[in-house]
Amino acid sequence: MAKPTTAVRQTKKDEEPALKGTLASVFLLGFFIIFAWVSVYFLFLHRL
Amino acid sequence: MTTAVEKVNRRDAKLALAHLFVAFTALALGGFAGLLQTLVRSGKFELPAGISYYTILTTHGVLLGLVLTTFFIIGFQFAAVSRTTGTLSDGSRRTGWVGFWLMTIGTAMSAFFILTGKASVLYTFYAPLQAHAGFYIGLALVVVGSWVSGFAMFTHYARWRKAHRGQVSPLLAFMSVTNMVLWLVCTLGVAATVVFQLIPWSLGLTDRVNVLLSRTLFWYFGHPLVYFWLLPAYMVWYAVIPKVIGGKMFSDSLARLAFILFLLFSIPVGFHHQLLEPGISPFWKYVQVVLTFMVIIPSLMTAFAMFATFESYGRSQGATGLFGWLRKLPWSDARFFAPFVGMLFFIPAGTGGIINASHQLNQVVHNTIWVTGHFHLTVATTVVLTFFGASYWLIPHLTGRVMTKAMNRLAIIQTIVWAVGMTFMSGSMHFAGLLGAPRRSAFSTYGNSPQALEWIPYQIAQAVGGTILFIGIILILVIVINLAFFAPKGETEFPIAEAAAPYERAALALENWKLWIGLVVALILIAYTVPIIDIIQNAPPGSKGYKLW
Repeated sequence: MAKPTTAVRQTKKDEEPALKGTLASVFLLGFFIIFAWVSVYFLFLHRL
Repeated sequence: MTTAVEKVNRRDAKLALAHLFVAFTALALGGFAGLLQTLVRSGKFELPAGISYYTILTTHGVLLGLVLTTFFIIGFQFAAVSRTTGTLSDGSRRTGWVGFWLMTIGTAMSAFFILTGKASVLYTFYAPLQAHAGFYIGLALVVVGSWVSGFAMFTHYARWRKAHRGQVSPLLAFMSVTNMVLWLVCTLGVAATVVFQLIPWSLGLTDRVNVLLSRTLFWYFGHPLVYFWLLPAYMVWYAVIPKVIGGKMFSDSLARLAFILFLLFSIPVGFHHQLLEPGISPFWKYVQVVLTFMVIIPSLMTAFAMFATFESYGRSQGATGLFGWLRKLPWSDARFFAPFVGMLFFIPAGTGGIINASHQLNQVVHNTIWVTGHFHLTVATTVVLTFFGASYWLIPHLTGRVMTKAMNRLAIIQTIVWAVGMTFMSGSMHFAGLLGAPRRSAFSTYGNSPQALEWIPYQIAQAVGGTILFIGIILILVIVINLAFFAPKGETEFPIAEAAAPYERAALALENWKLWIGLVVALILIAYTVPIIDIIQNAPPGSKGYKLW
């Protein structure tokens, strides 16, 4: 029974969408949020 | 029991269209008021005939922030519910019309008192500024009308569920119901302050008002109001856009879970609008800031789902490379392009929201025009461009017409004009805000203080942006009038996407309303009970009303 299971797994693996671009996009989004937040935070510190 | 049809029933379409017409009328009038405001604030223009800046500011805020949005959303949701769960029953439709007329009469009443200069209290109507009682009564009617319409949707949805036991409801119907539950719960706060505090006070039945309580009840409503605007845009993003581009929805379950998280975490968070307000303990502000940050989770889930939808589609079309899928998207289709630009603008908009809700950073931007710039990105770009994009198929679908290529091209131009105008206007608002320029106030050099003089170039840029945006309003009105009355007759699809995984079945627990509404109530009680008791018990003497205009 091992073979069909592997085959099913293989098919499932193939069906997984390739989302490298999505990963890169969400990272870019995260970096933008952090950059903007830190910029205003430094402005806050500067005005203390 | 009626069954689901591909096309919205003609009588339901009439109800939806009536809402959309009021919404776009509000856009025309409110948009013109917005143009005048930016011109006045540039310092190069004065209003004629003694018209007050604050009158047009109130007109702009109420018509666009409250009327355009609420009418469009309810109209859109009636169409979505009818399309996905079948024609409305005669009773539900009649109830919808009662809601529509209550809202319209309320709007006309409030507008009358604003335009006659008796209610220049801005759309936040903060006490102790005191408007004519008719203004508050009009607003109360708008809220009551929206509740009536909400009940029409709830009963229709309940009927569908009864007839389809054990089945997961259609995504758009589920989302519409979630948004109306959110609305119903949050408007209880604004209704309480209007009915129990502001109306008796403006009628002279009470002398004084508890200002902090009224502001707290307002913001209990005011923040979820933002999500009431946003969720219908998310409905279009999740359930419609994948079909428009020819792809599939990334995940039906993820979309439903995101909506439930919005329902839970968008209400008990109003204190992040009152971070600099004395009279609220720092502990409770902290609790509500933590809850505010929980809302970031479904927002980021949505961003991920959108990227994944676009990438999956692009790759299915043979895209290669890290970002090759972007080239495969249908850039020349306004039904996609306008909402997509709205999504892009949500990146700085959401980021600004995180900054606003952070206690220390809030001290940098509080009550500055940064905040105005922020919500012109969220509601006036992300939400509004998505609503425009939805109108390009919704209006012709409801009127039995088709959008011509020329109108599609005009809609692309409209989107670009909007993006450019808003970049100028909102961008300069953000920068001027960081330099301390106040929001809400008319032009002043504040005795030629050097700091105030620094803001003037940004205020001129706001007027340039505002003028470009007004051109955008003229363009969208041309398109809407064409789609409603002059476009060629034909059939336009109401696009609804399928999930990428056909075997995917959302958990029925996501529709366990007793559980979710119970949790909503629990979170609200945790976040608000103690501070509200404190605000009432330790209140200073209330304030008399002021009419400073």
